[in-house]
Amino acid sequence: MSLQVNVKDLLSNLYTNRGVIELLFGQRDQITVNELLGRGDISEEQYRKLVSLDILFEYENVVSLNDAVVSMFEDFMEIGEVTPGFINDYINELKRHIRFYQEAREMRFLRSIKKYLKRINTTLTREIIKLQKNVDDTYKNEGNYRIKLQKLEDYREKRDTIIDFIKQTSSIVDETRVLFNITNDTELFGIVTSLKSSLIENLDFLIEIQTDITDFINKIQFQLDVYKKAQRLKEVKDHGALHFKTNFREIVQGINTLKHNGHKTPKTKIPIEFLYSDEGHVLCKRIAEKYKITRLMVRGVADKMSVNFKDKGLEQNIKLDTEKLVERFLAQTKQNLFEYLIEYKFPKAIGNVTFEDRLSLFVEIAMEYQTKLDFKYRLQYHDYIEDETKLKKRLGYTLILPVKEKKEKVK
Amino acid sequence: MEDSINFNLPKQTHDIFSVMARGAFISSNGSRDGMNRLYDVINNPENFDRLQAYFNVIRYNIERGNNFFYFAKLSEPNSEIEKKLERFERYIDIIDLFASMDNKIGIGSRFRPGEIAEECNANVRLKQKLQKIPLYRSETLHNKVREICDLMSRDSFLELEDEKTESYKVLDSYSYLLEIINSVAIYEDGSNTSDSQGLIYN
Repeated sequence: MSLQVNVKDLLSNLYTNRGVIELLFGQRDQITVNELLGRGDISEEQYRKLVSLDILFEYENVVSLNDAVVSMFEDFMEIGEVTPGFINDYINELKRHIRFYQEAREMRFLRSIKKYLKRINTTLTREIIKLQKNVDDTYKNEGNYRIKLQKLEDYREKRDTIIDFIKQTSSIVDETRVLFNITNDTELFGIVTSLKSSLIENLDFLIEIQTDITDFINKIQFQLDVYKKAQRLKEVKDHGALHFKTNFREIVQGINTLKHNGHKTPKTKIPIEFLYSDEGHVLCKRIAEKYKITRLMVRGVADKMSVNFKDKGLEQNIKLDTEKLVERFLAQTKQNLFEYLIEYKFPKAIGNVTFEDRLSLFVEIAMEYQTKLDFKYRLQYHDYIEDETKLKKRLGYTLILPVKEKKEKVK
Repeated sequence: MEDSINFNLPKQTHDIFSVMARGAFISSNGSRDGMNRLYDVINNPENFDRLQAYFNVIRYNIERGNNFFYFAKLSEPNSEIEKKLERFERYIDIIDLFASMDNKIGIGSRFRPGEIAEECNANVRLKQKLQKIPLYRSETLHNKVREICDLMSRDSFLELEDEKTESYKVLDSYSYLLEIINSVAIYEDGSNTSDSQGLIYN
C-alpha cells in the first residue's frame, strides 16, 4: 500500500464510493477513467484518493478494482474461479502449527491450529460450491466448444486436487487425534467433529460433480463425433454415393415423425353457425379482403351493446307509455301532474317504478309536453320518507295542471 | 374439456396435441409458447402414461427422445420415401455447415444468422457449402442463412428466441437429427479409416 491505511479508513472509503465499487465489481476491465468520471458518481479528487489508497488501479486508461477487494467480494458471494491452492497453504500452516504445539504446549499455537482447521473447513465447502457452479455454467454458457472441453477438463483436475486435500486433511486429523485428546479442549473437539463430517459430505459432493463433468464431456464428445460423421456423410453425398455406400435409405425409411411422413395436421371444417356470429364475420371479412369478394364484405358487425342496455330497455318501455299517460292525465282534473305520477299505478309488466323513476318521468313530461300543460310557477311541497336513510324529506315541485282546465282548479 | 376430466388428463392436453400433431417436437429447453412447461407435463410419468393411452386411441404414439417428445403414427406405413430422403439429405447439408463453423453450433447454442453469414463470407469452404445447400431463392448469404434458420425453426429444431436481435437457440430436438446421423452406417472400402481419431475439418 502506498499510504498507511487502517481498517476504518479503508471501510469508510469503500463505503463512500460504494456505487463506484459496485459498478467496477460488476463490469471488470471495461470502464475507462473518463467514463467513470463522466458518470458523476465520483469526483476527480475522490478518484485520486482511491487510486492513492490502491483500491483502484489505472492501466492504459482502464480502471480496475484492487484484486484483494474483488476476491474478498467473490469469497463472500461464493463466486469466481475455483482456487484450491489456498487449501494447500492452510494445510501447510496447520502442519507447521501442530509441530510447534508438539514442541511446546502453548495456547497460542493451539489457537492457530483451531483457526486453520476452521478455515480449511469453510474453504473446502466454498471451493466445492464454486466448482459446482462453474461446471454447470461452463457447460451451459461457454460458446466455444474447444474452450468448453478444456475448461471441463481443468475442473476435473481441480476436483482431483480438492479430493487430495480432503484426504490429507483427514489423515492429519487422524494422526493428531491423540494430541488433540490431551488438550481436553471442547472447542477444538467441536471443530474437529464438524470438520470430519463435512469432509465426508464434501467427498460425496465431489463424486456427484465428477459424474456431472463426465456426463457433460460425453455429451459434447458425442456431438463432436456426430459432427465428424455428418461431415463424412456430406463427403460421401458429394461423391454421389450416399445411397450406395451407406444405409441412409433404410434409416430414413424407418423415421416415424409425423412431419417427415407427410401426415397433415388434422383439419376441421368451420361450423356454419359460427360464420353467422360476429367472430365468424370478422373471419369472413378477412377472407373477403384476401380474395376481393365484395359480397362478403357488405354485412357489418353490430356495434357493441352498451353495458346498461337492459336498463335502457326499461326506460324505452316507460317512454312508450308516456303519451298515453299524458292523455290520461289530461283527461282527469283532480290531481296535478306530480301527484298524478306519484300515485299512478303502472302496469305490472314494467315492474317496480321507483320514486326516482317517477320523478324523472315528471321532468320528462314537463319538458316534452309543455304546450299541453299549464305551468303554474308555484311551488308545492311533497313530504316523504327516504327508503335508505329513513329520514323525513320534503320536495318542492312546480304545480302543473292540464291546460284545458280553468284556473279555479288550483288548490 | 369433459373428456379430460373423465380420463384424468392434464389440462394442457389440447396444447400438447396441437403442437405435436403439427409434426413439431416438444423440447425441454424451448421457451416459446410455454414449450418447457408442456415438456414437464408430458415428462411426468403419471401424465405420460395417461396421455399415451389417450393418444393411442386415435393412433398417435408419443415418442421419447433425449429431452424431447414427438408424435408418430401407429400402424400406418411410413410413406413418401423420396421426399423424406430429400429432406434428410438437406439436413445433412445443414448439419455439415453447422459442424464446420469455427464456433460449433450445438444444443443450447445461441446464434444470429448474421454471425454465420459473416463467417461464411470470410471462409471460402464455408461459403461454398452454404451456397450449395439447395434452397429456393436467396441471393445474399445472409438471407440464405436466414432461410435455413427459418426452415429449422419450422421443423422445431431451432427457436427464434429474440425477434429484435434475430437470435436463435438450438433446441433439444436437434439431438434427434444427430442421432439419425449417428445411426447411419458408412460401409468402408478399407482405404479411408484413418480419420476416426482425427480433428474435425474446418
